[in-house]
Amino acid sequence: MGILIGQSLVNAVLLSGMLALVALGFSIVWGVLKIINLAHGSFIMLGAYVTFTLFSLYHVDPFLTIPVSMLALFLLGYLIQTYIVNWVIRAPLLVTFLLTFGLDIILINLALFVWQGDVRSVSPAYAGTGLTLFRDPVTSQGVQVPYVRLAAFAISLVLAGLLYLFMSYTKLGRAIQATGQDKDAAQLTGVRVAPTYALTFAIGAALAGAAGSLISVMQPFDPNMGGGYRLRAFIIVVLGGLGSIPGVILGSVLFALVDVLVGISPLAPLKDGVAFAMLVLVLIFRPTGIAGKAFY
Amino acid sequence: MKLHLSALFCLLVVMSLAAGCMAPAPAAAPSKPCTITFGAAVSLTGATAKEGEYVKNGYNMFIEDTNKQGGFKVGKQQCTISVKIYDDESNADTSAKLIEKLVTEDKVNLLLGPYGTGPVFSASAIAEKYDVPMVEPGGAGIKIFTRGFKNVWGTLPAAGTYLKSAVDMILAKDPSAKNVALFIENDSFSQEVADGITPYLKEKGLNLVYSEQYPKGTKDVSSLVTAAKAKNPDFVLGASHLADAELVVKQAKDIGLNAKAWAFSVGPSTPEFGTALGKDSTYILGVTPWTPAMKFQGQDIYGTPLKFSEAFKAKYGYEPSYHSASAVATFIAFQKAIEAAGSVEPKAVREQLGKLDVPTFYGQLKFAPEGIIVKPMGVVQWDTDGKMVSVWPKDIAEKDPLYPAPPWDKR
Repeated sequence: MGILIGQSLVNAVLLSGMLALVALGFSIVWGVLKIINLAHGSFIMLGAYVTFTLFSLYHVDPFLTIPVSMLALFLLGYLIQTYIVNWVIRAPLLVTFLLTFGLDIILINLALFVWQGDVRSVSPAYAGTGLTLFRDPVTSQGVQVPYVRLAAFAISLVLAGLLYLFMSYTKLGRAIQATGQDKDAAQLTGVRVAPTYALTFAIGAALAGAAGSLISVMQPFDPNMGGGYRLRAFIIVVLGGLGSIPGVILGSVLFALVDVLVGISPLAPLKDGVAFAMLVLVLIFRPTGIAGKAFY
Repeated sequence: MKLHLSALFCLLVVMSLAAGCMAPAPAAAPSKPCTITFGAAVSLTGATAKEGEYVKNGYNMFIEDTNKQGGFKVGKQQCTISVKIYDDESNADTSAKLIEKLVTEDKVNLLLGPYGTGPVFSASAIAEKYDVPMVEPGGAGIKIFTRGFKNVWGTLPAAGTYLKSAVDMILAKDPSAKNVALFIENDSFSQEVADGITPYLKEKGLNLVYSEQYPKGTKDVSSLVTAAKAKNPDFVLGASHLADAELVVKQAKDIGLNAKAWAFSVGPSTPEFGTALGKDSTYILGVTPWTPAMKFQGQDIYGTPLKFSEAFKAKYGYEPSYHSASAVATFIAFQKAIEAAGSVEPKAVREQLGKLDVPTFYGQLKFAPEGIIVKPMGVVQWDTDGKMVSVWPKDIAEKDPLYPAPPWDKR
């Protein structure tokens, strides 16, 4: 029983790191551009396929492909924001909703065309190896900490930390925050709004790319994988509170705990339902999210 | 208005008289060439486009090979066969509409089936409505066959039987295996698999120490794997599809859930399973109604799975999956029934389909009273060279199964 609980807590912690990375990009785009980017799941999917392609064709270690997928998605995000989304940035929410929904469909179908609909998986030689903690001398069972998930967790934390430092202590980051708070006031103080938006969107896409690369090592995927992550990102951002990095991390930890603890209970088949129930409760009782601040 | 109605009535009378005069003579002259037309709606686009193509290729290949040998024997006549195939876009409603068109407009003699339980479910209702027999290759859901229809037959074994052969194989290898963990995807097909296997485990005196469902499309099953590990199962079963079967294996390795045998309903029997998991697919068992390596001996134009497979490969350039074999089996069922009946009349054909019991390259063709084929699933295993080999039932297997699977950290 001790091992069951211990293993579950380890699972939850490792899962929360990955989920935080999934939700971070979604959160800053929503917080700064006021856009709910429905193509976020597709960005994650593209990141996974960048890793898959480099791994299967050139045998590049999946963790080394992360900078490549981040760069590729950064460029894609920058272009999409500059040449497509920027046209409707001041339009009502529904317009950006439709636009990013359309983008999502296009990206999924392009991926289906290029990589086909087969379920793929990236399995380096070290996949599945890990540390055993608290090994019981009698049964030789213990709490397993798989290296791949541990590494993914660490990378997520590093990226979240870097994003936090960038947003808080650099001129560009502060410009992004200022634009998020009030784009007209930011413009008056000399911030160029369009490039700032493009940069924010690109950073969001790059984070999604990194998340996709990490997910590809941990889970099987196909071009339709993104929808589930987009939904999780949405729940996490609302749970934690829109527009704050600590909020995203708090939301991820909560979501992962619920997912894992419900998973070992008799309610396991309902674990998605429980997550949604939590979302509804937060929206009713604390609409600004648990961390509660409105923007970066 | 009165005038109108009577005019209409007269017209109807005249038309029906004319139709009576134009109706063909009941007995066709023996010298006249005859053709039997089959109709099918298959998913050539949409979610199951790939499986639909496998089915279509099976249909077309059988037609070509059969016509080369003179077609079907109907009484004293040799009839060529043809098939009219429409694309149902993987959509159950479209499938039903197209079947209606095939029957009412194209006037096909008999019906073949679509791919997938959903399309078969709705398409077979139309077959029943017009009383035209349908033999379908791609619907294994038992709900297709529990409506009391008398016009639908299926050549895929029922979902509930999927894991039974795997359990039989494991018990034959190791009668001491006792404790079983079962992971169930929350989806109608997988539920049927689980509902079929759960009482069977009890019947065999096994302990189901862990049985839990996970949501369809889930991204993480680590909590279920962790809970199952605490129960120390001897073997692990999964009522699953491909992606979630891979997820269970990956996370079982991560968390160190070990078992002497692993079997999944859908997943390991597809080639992608081996390429996606690499070495981790070794020892894992899957079930399939048919592989080219099974050793059936049949009385049909192909005779053995190997010969069918070679002919298929020569024509399409890839090895056939069970989808194509099942599609050809539906045609063979019709061929045998038509030859026994000496006619293509729905009633006579239906009667003979019910009585069918013939060996074919696909295995024995014999239907249960409700219409679904009575056929044990074969078991396949990924071996140490990364190849999928058939291991069960013994009499048709290529190799003896590898057992037990070593723990993940000792591989």
